[in-house]
Amino acid sequence: MRWMVELSCYLAVAQMWNLLAGYGGLVSVGQQAFIGIAGYALFILSIRFGINPFVGVALAVIAPALVAVPTYALLHRLDGPYFAIGTWVIAESFRLLTTNMDFVNGGAGLTLRAMTQFSAQERAIGMTSWSAALILITVGGSYWLLRSRYGLALAAMRDNAIAAESQGVNVKRLRFLIYVAAAAGTGLAGAVYYMAQLRISPVAAYSPKWASVCIFIVMVGGIGSIEGVLIGALIYFASDRLFGEYGTTYLIVLGIITLLVAIFARGGVWGVVSRYVGVSIFSTRRIFARGDA
Amino acid sequence: MQWLDALIQGILLGGMYAQYALGMTLMFGVMRIVNIAHGDLMILLALVGISGSAMFGVGPFLVIVLLIPIGALLGWALQKGILNRVIGGDELPSLIATFGLSVALQNLMQQIWSADSRSLPGGGLESASVNVAGVYIGVLPLLVLATAVGLTGGLDAMLRFSPFGRALRAASVDSEAAAITGVNPRAVYATATAAAVAILGIAAVFQSLRATVSPADGPAQLIYAFEAVIIGGMGSVWGSFLGAIVLGIAQAIGFRADPGWGILMGHLVFLLVLAGRPQGLMSRNR
Amino acid sequence: MSEAVPILSTHGLVAGYGDFQALFGVDFEIAPGEIVALIGANGAGKSTFLRAIMGLLPSRRDMIRFDGAPIGGAPTHSMVGRGITMVPEGRRLFTGMTVEDNLRVAMDCARSSARRSESAPWTIERLHELFPILADKRGTPVERLSGGQQQMVAIARALLGQPRLLLCDELSLGLAPAVIRDIYRSLPLISATGTAMILVEQDVGLAKTTSHRLYCMLEGRMTLTGRSENLDQAAITDAYFGSHHAVA
Repeated sequence: MRWMVELSCYLAVAQMWNLLAGYGGLVSVGQQAFIGIAGYALFILSIRFGINPFVGVALAVIAPALVAVPTYALLHRLDGPYFAIGTWVIAESFRLLTTNMDFVNGGAGLTLRAMTQFSAQERAIGMTSWSAALILITVGGSYWLLRSRYGLALAAMRDNAIAAESQGVNVKRLRFLIYVAAAAGTGLAGAVYYMAQLRISPVAAYSPKWASVCIFIVMVGGIGSIEGVLIGALIYFASDRLFGEYGTTYLIVLGIITLLVAIFARGGVWGVVSRYVGVSIFSTRRIFARGDA
Repeated sequence: MQWLDALIQGILLGGMYAQYALGMTLMFGVMRIVNIAHGDLMILLALVGISGSAMFGVGPFLVIVLLIPIGALLGWALQKGILNRVIGGDELPSLIATFGLSVALQNLMQQIWSADSRSLPGGGLESASVNVAGVYIGVLPLLVLATAVGLTGGLDAMLRFSPFGRALRAASVDSEAAAITGVNPRAVYATATAAAVAILGIAAVFQSLRATVSPADGPAQLIYAFEAVIIGGMGSVWGSFLGAIVLGIAQAIGFRADPGWGILMGHLVFLLVLAGRPQGLMSRNR
Repeated sequence: MSEAVPILSTHGLVAGYGDFQALFGVDFEIAPGEIVALIGANGAGKSTFLRAIMGLLPSRRDMIRFDGAPIGGAPTHSMVGRGITMVPEGRRLFTGMTVEDNLRVAMDCARSSARRSESAPWTIERLHELFPILADKRGTPVERLSGGQQQMVAIARALLGQPRLLLCDELSLGLAPAVIRDIYRSLPLISATGTAMILVEQDVGLAKTTSHRLYCMLEGRMTLTGRSENLDQAAITDAYFGSHHAVA
């Protein structure tokens, strides 16, 4: 149960990050802002307004999408690395803001008591359905998006934003839409995740750990492809289960792997596999030569 | 009076942030290389300094003398081993590589030094103060500010007038054109990163004298340095100094209003500048 | 050719970008003090050829020889130390820096390389004589200069590297005819100091009148070479478009 929710949440946030960084060229290290906002929205809807959490998850997604609009308006002026750290500042601001709000019990966090009204079986069904819906919406939605008429524009933007712009792709608008969509998708994962956790606190929900999860999964799996994210999520999830008990040593190794992938294997595991095997399960990836020219 | 005091404390705090921001101005503002591990390197140097001081019983000023070459060596290795392999074209690889480095460094430090906070004994320096027109000002914060001014002036002059500064500016604008003019861009970058991390060695000593450091502090320092650079205006050395002072004042005044709001106030000022004057207060508009 | 020792020669030079091959076995030579023009259609490989000489593209060591020593694929900045500099296509000045700072980058590098300890021929003063406008504009950021003035800065920057071989990529590109005339008038003065020059040029007439010898490139190969005054127009047209070219 729990592992299924975790895996689907990792998969979802990673795929949303892949959409942002891999296609939109928007590298964020602050997606945890949307995890926290949606998670808190769910808890507030349930605690303050008595809304059934299983329904609340769907409503909670609105909050991160709304917040993403002014956030993007501020951040889009920053390019590349500046954008990345800017997203981090935003996430930190929301963490501090939440910590300072008595309304949500400050730094101590909230508990989702409403879940006790459901039987274990009801909870299992609800969580399973939401996990499935989460994957369907984020991964399936991305797949649909990339196969749609926007797909070609997105792929063109991924390969060369300036060239795409000159070919009539409205890069600005597309980036904005991706940012908001990714905020909603990431938020959905956050709401599902904290519904299963039953507890939320600013330190955990707005933790940069979420950013490292995204980055590890997407970079190691293979950026700019859905297969890569699936592989990356499985690798991350398995290693978390197997080696998580080693604590800091495990994290040192994860960090070094990320570093090595960035230097030596930009395409990640999937990049290496598809180069040698030449197959593609989800044919969303259009291969272009990425030479020095 | 209370607010005047907050203002003064803010300027002094800004002096500390200016020291973090200098290395970032050089790497980020001039070379356009992003180094997420910036704060972690500072913490690493601070912890090395604290342990070294305890082990060999040396005072803070000797620690500075030791940390500068260690920092330079670290920076040089960072550029040669990692950054030179990932620069050119898009920034994603350098961002990801240093992000991985940051995670690895934080956890490595936690394993070596544990998660405890530590500080460097200053032999009474940290508590000494002077009375300036009725306001008590700490000697150490004054020293921090004076050092920041000196370093900023030095870095600015080096960039403007020295052959190395010209070569670095040229390589940052167009590394290929610099190479056909005879500049070795990779060597210049390695020297610049060595200088940036060496400056962090100085900042590390002051940080561990005036407060405590723990392995998880790096990201916060990175964010302050980044905010200072953006508030001030990218590529301007004195701009990032000004940005650091503005950030320090915002945090000190926020803190005086409510202790929970200090850092948040800094972020808000940063976001305000981003909304109202995205090119920064002292942009060179290049 | 009668020139006994070429200052630079290439031998079956092969180069390209990633998987894309642009040069297919180019043989070339230039004597000290000689001006050689290199003409050809867009995409013929002229710029690639210059970039390969400059070490901006990898090539096998023995494919390029300078003073008889193999230098193919050596780091670009070391080419300057040996005595090869370049005026790149599109000028590629250091924007945000003044004219003087642009030139000083080159001077700093020339000073630090030991070869030029005695009597360097090119100084800021001599360049101000060659291009008087640069003296007036020394404190101006380069992006505020006109195209012709920028080209002069680019030439001056290359000369301050004290080259014995100067590579010029499309000096006339995007400039007004009067400005082109001014710039080309300076080339014999540069050549008079003993500097050899390779001029990549689109304008065939200009290339012929300025150079001693001429090479023509087509699809990554040399298709014609000879003394510029001896080459007739038909031969050049053939070499330029290929012998099976459609009637224009």
